[in-house]
Amino acid sequence: MKMAAETETGKGEVEWEVKIPEKKLKDRLFFENLKAMVIDTQMCSRCLTCVSICPSELIVNEEDIVDFPNYEDKCLDCGACVRVCPRYDYKPKSGLGDYIEFTAGQSKRFKGQDGAMGTEFIFSAIDMGLIDRGLFVDRDEQWRTSVFHVRGKEQLEKLPLGGTKYVFADILPELKKAVMFSKVGVGVVGTPCMVSGVRKLQEEYPVFREKVKLVIGLFCTENFHYNEVSKYLIEKGVDFSKLIKTDIMKGKFVATMTDKEVKFKVSQLTSILPSGCNVCTDFTAVESDVSVGSVGSVAGF
Amino acid sequence: MKKVGTPEYDLSDKLKYHVSALSTAAKEMALPLNITTHYPRERKRQPDCFRGYMLFDPERCISCFQCSFVCPANAIWMKDAPSGRYYPTVDYGKCIFCHFCIDSCPGGALRTTKIHDVAYKTMDEMFTSTEEMIEPPEIIREDVGVVDYVIDKEDLSLKRTKEKDELIVDVEPSQGVPMVSVCVDRGSCLACKVCDMICESGAVSSVVDEAAMTVKMAIDAEKCTGCGLCVKECSMQILRLVRK
Ligand SMILES: Cc1cc2nc3c(=O)[nH]c(=O)nc-3n(C[C@H](O)[C@H](O)[C@H](O)COP(=O)(O)OP(=O)(O)OC[C@H]3O[C@@H](n4cnc5c(N)ncnc54)[C@H](O)[C@@H]3O)c2cc1C
Repeated sequence: MKMAAETETGKGEVEWEVKIPEKKLKDRLFFENLKAMVIDTQMCSRCLTCVSICPSELIVNEEDIVDFPNYEDKCLDCGACVRVCPRYDYKPKSGLGDYIEFTAGQSKRFKGQDGAMGTEFIFSAIDMGLIDRGLFVDRDEQWRTSVFHVRGKEQLEKLPLGGTKYVFADILPELKKAVMFSKVGVGVVGTPCMVSGVRKLQEEYPVFREKVKLVIGLFCTENFHYNEVSKYLIEKGVDFSKLIKTDIMKGKFVATMTDKEVKFKVSQLTSILPSGCNVCTDFTAVESDVSVGSVGSVAGF
Repeated sequence: MKKVGTPEYDLSDKLKYHVSALSTAAKEMALPLNITTHYPRERKRQPDCFRGYMLFDPERCISCFQCSFVCPANAIWMKDAPSGRYYPTVDYGKCIFCHFCIDSCPGGALRTTKIHDVAYKTMDEMFTSTEEMIEPPEIIREDVGVVDYVIDKEDLSLKRTKEKDELIVDVEPSQGVPMVSVCVDRGSCLACKVCDMICESGAVSSVVDEAAMTVKMAIDAEKCTGCGLCVKECSMQILRLVRK
């Protein structure tokens, strides 16, 4: 056998070793382990880190539950999903974590949910050449989320990128694609569970360490499943075609439409609160590079 | 300044050139020299490596897509066959007969022929399906002789023989540039073993060591045909083809 050949990207290996994680349930597939320990125990946060890494690309988030149809036949049993799942060996995070400073800020050039700092950080990083791609959560007319790759600020004029959508978004599966495409680096904005997922990916796989250069975390108390929250909002008289902003302020869910506002206590949404959010204590996205949120800032930010 | 005038010949020169011209005329009258091939009654003999119509052997195809990737004219489409495999189809409306596809085929599934005169009535017909590429097309041959071009000294002459040139040739598949697959980021390997499962030549191996909780991955450079299947399938994109 010939030994390592030179490539343009460094040394190539012809023999290598990969560590596999321990199975909590022996003699069961890794996905079965994930299912038993995280999904069935209602710990799953729908961060979709497992979806992003699964080599067979068959883990899906359907009907608001992470699942792997026919995993008995299709699972390759590589263990990548349990290696990256932030809730598999869950070590709850809380508090503020280590920080350099906290401050109130507002972007001069962008409009966003609050101070548009989420948007500003990503575009500044692109302008500085730190990253060549940023991931944003976009939405359609019906407020269904989709993930958008931004590569320059000219794209922003056309798209309603900023602003909070209180619905889960498939950010991490897109992050993997962005990492594969990116030459320089990728920036991502996400909820605390997603930030933990990104850190797990970085811990386990060098390609994510090398490419994900900026991780912005959003303050988050809860997120919702589209089907459930949209049904509820329609019942409350929200017309999606007129909806321009959703927010949670002082314990109230506020849906601002072009002609009126619908307000109600967030506590009314308790029945549809995702189980994964119930166990989470990480409000500030402790593991992020920068955390952004509006709690504690004076009005106007 | 020197003025260039008409050349001056003496009588002996004039006689010499006249005789030469008359004899050429006489020779052409008796035995005309022609340098065109009387196709289709005769065919020019083509070299075995002639870049002509292509034939395909599904038995040797490993669905690695190399042919369609390399095609500079975008003439090759891979289509799914009932076997679940993907096989090439060629649009001869686009093909520029560079035969990069043949040269890049690691299994020698594509090969050349000396057929260069396939006629089509419509553009759609030029889109050749995999099935049509397995057997040579039907050829109506009217040729009764073959023409060889012979270059002797400064002149080109034709040599005509009463034989038929074999259009279907048996050429060794091209070896191309020997390539081998390597892993460029072992740390990002998931050990999903897809590369091992997809490899047709048994070059990739993955051995699970339960006790040590590791998977030993290896690519045998001797066995690797450089087809690039594993490179294409690797979900982490950490495999590359490099020169052997
Ligand atoms: C589900 C959720 C719950 C939140 N809960 C709180 C809270 O309780 N208290 C608080 O102070 N702040 C909360 N926030 C954060 C707050 O709503 C603002 O996002 C934050 O203040 C940043 O504002 P900005 O103007 O700087 O961001 P902008 O410049 O408007 O950028 C907003 C960013 O949020 C991203 N985003 C939007 N929707 C989603 C989504 N569904 N999932 C992931 N990313 C998304 C966008 O991609 C964009 O990058 C929450 C955000 C989300 C998404």
